Amino acid sequence: MALVNPRDKKDEDRDDETEYSPFFGIEKGAVLQEARVFNDPQLDTRRCQQVITKLLYLLNQGESFTKTEATEVFFATTKLFQSKDIALRRMVYLMIKEITPSADEVIIVTSSLMKDMNSKTDLYRANAIRVLCRIIDGGLLGQIERYLKQAVVDKNPIVASAALVSGIHLLKNNPEIVKRWSNEVQEAVNSKAPLVQFHALALLHQIRQNDRLAVSKLVTSLTRGNVRSPLAQCLLIRYTVQVIHEASGISSSGGERPFYEFLEGCLRHKAEMVIFEAARAITQLEGVTSRELTPAITVLQLFLSSSKPVLRFAAVRTLNKVAMTHPLAVTNCNIDMESLISDQNRSIATLAITTLLKTGNESSVDRLMKQITNFMSDIADEFKITVVEAIRSLCLKFPQKYRTLMNFLSNILREEGGFEYKKAIVDSILILIREIPDAKESGLSHLCEFIEDCEFTYLSTQILHLLGNEGPKTADPSKYIRYIYNRVILENATVRASAVSALAKFGAMVDFLQPRIMVLLRRCLHDNDDEVRDRATLYLQVLGDTKDIAPDGAAAFLSETLNVPLANLEASLKAYEPSEKPFNIAAVSKEAKPLTIAEKKKEKKAQREAAATGAHANGVAPAVSTSSYENLLNAIPEFASIGKLFKSSKPVQLTEEETEYAVNVVKHTYPAHVVFQFNATNTIQEQLLENVEVVMDTSLADEFEEVASIPLKSLPYGSPGQTFVLLAKPEGAVALGKFGNVLKFKVKEVDPASGEPDEEGYEDEYALEDVEVTIGDYIQRTSVSNFRNSWEALDPGLEKVDEYGLGPRESLQEAVKAVINTLGMQPVEGTDQVPSNARSHTALLAGTFIGNVPVLARLSFGIDAQKQVAMKLAVRSEDESVSELIQDIIASS
Amino acid sequence: MGLFRRFLRALGLGPEKVGVLIVGLDNSGKSTLLNRLRPKKARTADVVPTIGFQVESFLKHGIQFTAFDMSGAGRYRSLWEAYFKDAQAVIFVIDATDLVRMCVAKDELELMLRHPDLRKVPFLFYANKSDVPKCWTALQCAQALQLDENKDKPWNILASNALTGEGVEEGIDWLAEMIKSKPTN
Ligand SMILES: Nc1nc2c(ncn2[C@@H]2O[C@H](COP(=O)(O)OP(=O)(O)OP(=O)(O)O)[C@@H](O)[C@H]2O)c(=O)[nH]1
Ligand SMILES: [Mg+2]
Repeated sequence: MALVNPRDKKDEDRDDETEYSPFFGIEKGAVLQEARVFNDPQLDTRRCQQVITKLLYLLNQGESFTKTEATEVFFATTKLFQSKDIALRRMVYLMIKEITPSADEVIIVTSSLMKDMNSKTDLYRANAIRVLCRIIDGGLLGQIERYLKQAVVDKNPIVASAALVSGIHLLKNNPEIVKRWSNEVQEAVNSKAPLVQFHALALLHQIRQNDRLAVSKLVTSLTRGNVRSPLAQCLLIRYTVQVIHEASGISSSGGERPFYEFLEGCLRHKAEMVIFEAARAITQLEGVTSRELTPAITVLQLFLSSSKPVLRFAAVRTLNKVAMTHPLAVTNCNIDMESLISDQNRSIATLAITTLLKTGNESSVDRLMKQITNFMSDIADEFKITVVEAIRSLCLKFPQKYRTLMNFLSNILREEGGFEYKKAIVDSILILIREIPDAKESGLSHLCEFIEDCEFTYLSTQILHLLGNEGPKTADPSKYIRYIYNRVILENATVRASAVSALAKFGAMVDFLQPRIMVLLRRCLHDNDDEVRDRATLYLQVLGDTKDIAPDGAAAFLSETLNVPLANLEASLKAYEPSEKPFNIAAVSKEAKPLTIAEKKKEKKAQREAAATGAHANGVAPAVSTSSYENLLNAIPEFASIGKLFKSSKPVQLTEEETEYAVNVVKHTYPAHVVFQFNATNTIQEQLLENVEVVMDTSLADEFEEVASIPLKSLPYGSPGQTFVLLAKPEGAVALGKFGNVLKFKVKEVDPASGEPDEEGYEDEYALEDVEVTIGDYIQRTSVSNFRNSWEALDPGLEKVDEYGLGPRESLQEAVKAVINTLGMQPVEGTDQVPSNARSHTALLAGTFIGNVPVLARLSFGIDAQKQVAMKLAVRSEDESVSELIQDIIASS
Repeated sequence: MGLFRRFLRALGLGPEKVGVLIVGLDNSGKSTLLNRLRPKKARTADVVPTIGFQVESFLKHGIQFTAFDMSGAGRYRSLWEAYFKDAQAVIFVIDATDLVRMCVAKDELELMLRHPDLRKVPFLFYANKSDVPKCWTALQCAQALQLDENKDKPWNILASNALTGEGVEEGIDWLAEMIKSKPTN
């Protein structure tokens, strides 16, 4: 095999020099062979250096060495200590650090390194210290501690830095030793050498990090003095932020934030690194005010037009984050940001775009979209996904712009792109269809076009499912049939099967289409795939080839989901032996079965992971959308006749965190009923709970009357279960009240070894917090596509206006948020965000009151110098009493 | 510079380089002995137990000796083997006062003598600490270690005092002669 010698190559054609790594194509086997030169009595130091470089290259490329290979290379390398060549010795140090053989082998170089540590050559000393500290164990450390301590204050900065950095590493396993160097480290903090100062500060902070007071003292003294090294100054800024953060809990005086002046001073530092660090620190301060923010934004804005890409990137990335919490603070930078859309560096451009999308106002949407369109084609998919997500939230903020944005989405949907990207676009369109009623039809037709040429089975089936559900409800359902039937002709079996299901739904829900659909379905009976034929056969039966099923039964059958856990259904189907007796789905258990011990472990891990991501706190199921609640509730016979679900509340915790039983409640409002869904989790491994129910005390809420209670048969450890209480109230009335609750159950001890519960159990109960039905439970959040039009369409004569003093508030933003939360209505046009230095603000809210009464609210806020907030609330709806009720919410809270 | 040196060496003009392994039980005086072989001003005042190994070079009789001074402590003895491969001579230091552990020294020595990498190399033994009264003589040590059973490799034993250097030089003289008389590879 002819290996190209990279050095020869270099001499031949210098032009290509930059194109080839000198190590391109080197092989581990060959390099290990070469490493034999380490054993040569007549050492060739240059060659040895080259070989080490190659070995290090291989290691850094992720090449792994077997145990024997590593040991052999290591011992061969140790022989190189015989050479006095300084450059080679340096490579030897690196090699020992990188290859680290087993702990008892590496010890062989200890004496050699200790000798070097006391050598006259500074380079030897510095490097020997670094390597030694890496390989040494606690016992031997005591022997060299004296040297290290001295080295910390060595006059050579390289040596001092080496000792300090080693200290940082050693602190993990041998803190007591490193802590004894405090005085020396303190001295090094005042070093004139920038690097020493930087490392010393880092070490000193780590030594003290668990002592708040000490850190605070350190920061106080250093922020007064002058730190020379920009890197050290950056560290100091970070530590200062920590101190500010920790102090904010203690002193909540309205005055100047401690250390803010220092941070602001750093904005005028001569090193850009420090300026940026300070600006970033300010933007991340907890509850940062607009006054505090302004100077930081100003310097970041300057960076936006810097000639250095790294500064532009840093600035735009920081501003992007600020835009999430303080969009208005960033608007000043919009012009600079717009010019970054054409930045050479695509990461900068993407961040600029997404920031603009967050801060932009309605009028700039069209212009932005034009710019983005040009830019989309030359960024990577992952950036495109970020852009798509930003556009989705923009669209939800300005629903009346849906046309522009939907067009944009459909255009990019037609272009080239990977699965994740396409999925992000489709997901966005699905969300827009769901949230913005006006966008539905155009969204559906974009999707129809997309599936004509979609290479992703997953997306096609998802879209077909949606078409089946939504298409029949549109004005002209027939136009979707062609697209769907094309799938039956052109696509793979999975997609064909989905298309058949979608067709059937049209047949079931749209009478005049039924005959045509039947014809199409009959054609599918000749498909060469079993699943497709089976589905076609089934749907033909259901749709009336045989007359056993009532016509509306067909629609119900097709659109309803199975009300049994899929795992149970699967198990029952597996157990079913083909016979005369048909499979009975009603016999499938509806209760989630207790987990086996192995599964429990898995579950526990999953829970821990979920808890870590915050998605699943306290073991209680995460928030679920209304439609999945609907499915759950419809499955319960007792709730069959209570009508249509109006609103489901967010889960409200009824227990403290970390208690034996975690319970939360979701309130489901119906026209004449309220269903309380108690989600309970048993966190005691040694217990199985049975007959779990919540007993509600209705004595203080006279309009309510208990109709039914649905206990939970069993609640095994770790898997959440539900129990329900159904209360009736006068039809249409806005009944309010407060209820006490007690969780009652039977406890059975579980043998931890076998996982088997005891036969005998005992009754027990557990007090829960009260739950309250408020006016909020009778208002849905809905959005309107044009608030002004909708507002003016409602009779001004029925408007209810009132004024309120809200007392002293932290900020206008905080007051606005609180009121919106109390009302439980949907903020529109982004009016929930208050400009950072505004003294007054208007928020627009929309909602639907029970009985399907749309209601709109205009809230005007003002704040004075004493932070007293006043609010004027105007409410309009077709029903005067509804408007009054909305006023009552505020008046009574 | 490398090239020029190599050129000289090819003509037999540069100093020949020879790798020597210094082994023996811990505390037998290996590092002390090596310290003796350094030029006067490079000597260290106190010798501490070696951890792992230490490498030194010295020039004698026109030969550049590179000496690997191994630690004799139990936990490191298994690591000696990693340095057998290219050793051109072995110096085995015996503590002639440590009669109790003479059998341990014998065990370690036998392992080495049997090792294929060391089949042809000369072994120099020092019966060290000969200044201490009641120590064994070189002959007694040789008998205890059954050195005369080595028929196929050159060996020699000398009484030494590593503190004063007595006997040390003679050993190295012998070693130099052995190396020179052997045809170079
Ligand atoms: N009286 C006397 N003492 C000696 C002689 N040689 C060495 N010593 C002492 O023996 C002790 C051990 O010497 P080292 O040279 O450290 O022994 P070593 O063989 O290198 O030991 P390790 O490195 O642990 O394997 C020291 O206190 C020396 O002073 C000698 O010839 N006579
Ligand atoms: Mg020693």
